[in-house]
Amino acid sequence: MSELDEIRVARLALSWLAEPGNRALCRRVADLGPVLVLDELLRNGRAARTRQAVGADLDEADPRRLAEAALARAQRLDARVVIPEDDEWPASLNDLWRIGDESAKDPVDRDTAPPLCVWVRGGWRLDEALDRSVAVVGARAATSYGTQVAREIGYGLASRDWTVVSGGAYGIDGFAHRGALAAGGITVAVLACGVDRPYPASHASLFDRIAEDGLLISEWPLGADPFRHRFLIRNRVIAAITKGTVVVEAGPRSGSLQTLRRAGQLHRHRMVVPGPVTSAMSVGCHEQLRNRDEHTTLVTGVPHIVELVGAIGHDLAPVPRGPEHPRDGLAATERRLLEALLKRKPLSSEEVAVRARVPVSDAMRILPELVVRGFAKRREHGFILALHTDATTRSASG
Amino acid sequence: MSYAKVRSAGLVGVRGHLVEVEADIANGLPMMVLSGLPDTALHEARDRVRAAIVNAGQRWPNRRITVNLLPAALPKQGSGFDLAIACAVLAGAGEFPLAALDNTAIIGELGLDGSVRPVRGVLPMVVAAARAGVRQVVVPSENAAEAALVPGLRVRATDSLRRLVGFVRGTESLLDPPPPSVPAEPPGPDLADVVGQGVGRVALEVAAAGNHHLAMIGPPGAGKTMLAQRLPSILPELDDEAALEVTALHSIAGVLAPGAPLLRRPPFQAPHHTASMPALVGGGSGLARPGALSLAHRGVLFLDEAPEFSPRVLDALRQPLEQGVISIRRAGGDTTFPARIQLVLAANPCRCAKPSGEPVCICTPLARHRYLGRLSGPLLDRVDIQIRLEPLTTAALLDAHAVSEPSAVVADRVAKARAAAAARWSAHGWRSNAEVPGSALRSPRWRLPRAALSSVRKLLDEGELSARGYDRVLRLAWTIADLAGRTRPTAGDVSQASELRRGAVAP
Repeated sequence: MSELDEIRVARLALSWLAEPGNRALCRRVADLGPVLVLDELLRNGRAARTRQAVGADLDEADPRRLAEAALARAQRLDARVVIPEDDEWPASLNDLWRIGDESAKDPVDRDTAPPLCVWVRGGWRLDEALDRSVAVVGARAATSYGTQVAREIGYGLASRDWTVVSGGAYGIDGFAHRGALAAGGITVAVLACGVDRPYPASHASLFDRIAEDGLLISEWPLGADPFRHRFLIRNRVIAAITKGTVVVEAGPRSGSLQTLRRAGQLHRHRMVVPGPVTSAMSVGCHEQLRNRDEHTTLVTGVPHIVELVGAIGHDLAPVPRGPEHPRDGLAATERRLLEALLKRKPLSSEEVAVRARVPVSDAMRILPELVVRGFAKRREHGFILALHTDATTRSASG
Repeated sequence: MSYAKVRSAGLVGVRGHLVEVEADIANGLPMMVLSGLPDTALHEARDRVRAAIVNAGQRWPNRRITVNLLPAALPKQGSGFDLAIACAVLAGAGEFPLAALDNTAIIGELGLDGSVRPVRGVLPMVVAAARAGVRQVVVPSENAAEAALVPGLRVRATDSLRRLVGFVRGTESLLDPPPPSVPAEPPGPDLADVVGQGVGRVALEVAAAGNHHLAMIGPPGAGKTMLAQRLPSILPELDDEAALEVTALHSIAGVLAPGAPLLRRPPFQAPHHTASMPALVGGGSGLARPGALSLAHRGVLFLDEAPEFSPRVLDALRQPLEQGVISIRRAGGDTTFPARIQLVLAANPCRCAKPSGEPVCICTPLARHRYLGRLSGPLLDRVDIQIRLEPLTTAALLDAHAVSEPSAVVADRVAKARAAAAARWSAHGWRSNAEVPGSALRSPRWRLPRAALSSVRKLLDEGELSARGYDRVLRLAWTIADLAGRTRPTAGDVSQASELRRGAVAP
């Protein structure tokens, strides 16, 4: 067994022994590594420091063997386990370390650590699918207004190439997923039970479609039951892996408002769709908007959402910020095109190509890239030089 | 014997139909009755046929003549049945036996002097006759070359009724069609003539390779027309089936040059902006005739000064762009013309249209917006490539020593790219990238990796590109990749594709 596999099995076994997010256990794993923590638990049994975090009975069976069997079963079901040591682990999940209240009485508020591992069904790499993602959540007992808005938002986000993340529940969640699937986009359902267990059962075919075109993910192992408290634990993951959370309809005590609160703690965008003032299913939404302390934004559709989450610089390739010569990393053609640009007068790609003595098709290919990387800017009639990088170059070279 | 039956062929819309012409000579007041839904031109056949028979030196039966065209319920039009009616009348009167015209269809118009004159649409008529199992056709000598394009039956020609009568009696022989002439299409305009216009050339090549519709916006003198005219030169030649289809349409419209060979080059139609609805989509009294749209079938329809066209005419293009056919419904029956076209639009940026070099235009932004706004909406939505052409700068002219690529080289790349696209989508039933719906391009199977999309995602999030525009850019990126021989678009391909939407009238 390779080292990575050993870690995978250990993490899996640990996730079996405690509910996800357990602060004490996860802290210990972060400090010592999963293999050592598992050994410690198995060897010292009740005496181990982390013992009190572990709910399951240790004597029942060998968790390592159980984990290996589970991995084999996952392979048959086309599911896989992704761990933080994998390349595709989304870094956004690590932000979960920043929140949570150690002194809180309620374990849901105390145990908000990142997942030990994530079960995944679907063909996408986790980080790639979640790179540009927005959560769309809301009431299960949604009104027709809510389901329509959820579907529109799901469709609109997916057509703009944003991944739609939701919880796979009835109502808003389901329609957000369906909208995204209709647009041919990626949608991710974060479940509070095993990824092989459709819950609600009538969403079985929806989950199959999501697994085919998007991703089903869960912190719980295959076959795990959807207990009530697990939904609240799960919500922190929905908030963490997305750039923002949109609540479409929520009653006064809705679980989606908890997701929204988590998004706020994680410094993600919080968005709320208003509803009719007469609708009980929008009371929670309106209450959020009235509460000025919470930085919640009212959104009415995809343009508003994208305006927030797609803010410039959010998802762009990193601008080379080397202190000395930002142009050093450029290829010869790129440099020549940049030399040909002017500071004020916009030049069409054709003019730039002629000035730089470069084929027009090359100019058409490269200039938009230079815009993304911050060297050039786009104007209505062509391209100009972006001044700040120019200044850096000048001062550095002169 | 006082009854005779002769075969002929007629047209309904663009389809030929086999028609049987029967004549009955009975006792009664001398007169001639024509039945079987004839139109006005066909009614006049009575007088033409009578004069032609007499002037050809034959005897006109002075009895009651009933001529019927079968199937009687099919509307028939035009003068192409004259020759068949004359034969049926003469045979019915017992002037000659019909053995020589066994399994033969006769098509032709008669002059009063007994000469046989050419008719429109011989090609589809002969195709229909061949399909119905006819072994031989007799056509006017001017139409013989056209009829000879149809394989599977013998084509004979005649220049006069006298010759045909002589043939039936065994005293004279019919003419043979001229030997198939070598394709004599003069070389069209070539891309090598275009100086500069790099963006325009790229757009044209991508349009040809992916079958994308193209809109060019730029001041007069930017070379819009020049580029559009050269699009057919880089499109692949028509295959046999398409060539026959296109030639038949031109035959029906009566615009086929005499002795014309099969049209192999994709047609190019550039109707003037004052064109009426019937001129563009087809129409005319009674049953409709094909318009410029159908004459451009499997070729290029170029609308210069597109905003100047009447909005109704432009909107009439929507159905054909979607379905590849145009149906015209009339009280007398509906007609469906094929109209699978590649649309090229050209427009000035504003109404004043100052040529390049003039002082800046004085149109207000609102006026400019309104001018191009006449185009926007569902029509532009179907136009994948939307570019702005800048007037030639001196710099570009200086660069002119860089030799422009000739059409043949570009056409070669285009053909390879089209083959690659057709092979890729064949399982889905799409023939070119332009037909692929956006949701398919975003689906897991064809989705591009995130690294390839960064530049276009920026445009999307900044609102410079709509979700629909994004789908168009993805399509174009596939075409650009096909042209370069890549199996998947790269980041550069996507960037280049986004540049081909820069002129987008609607973002």
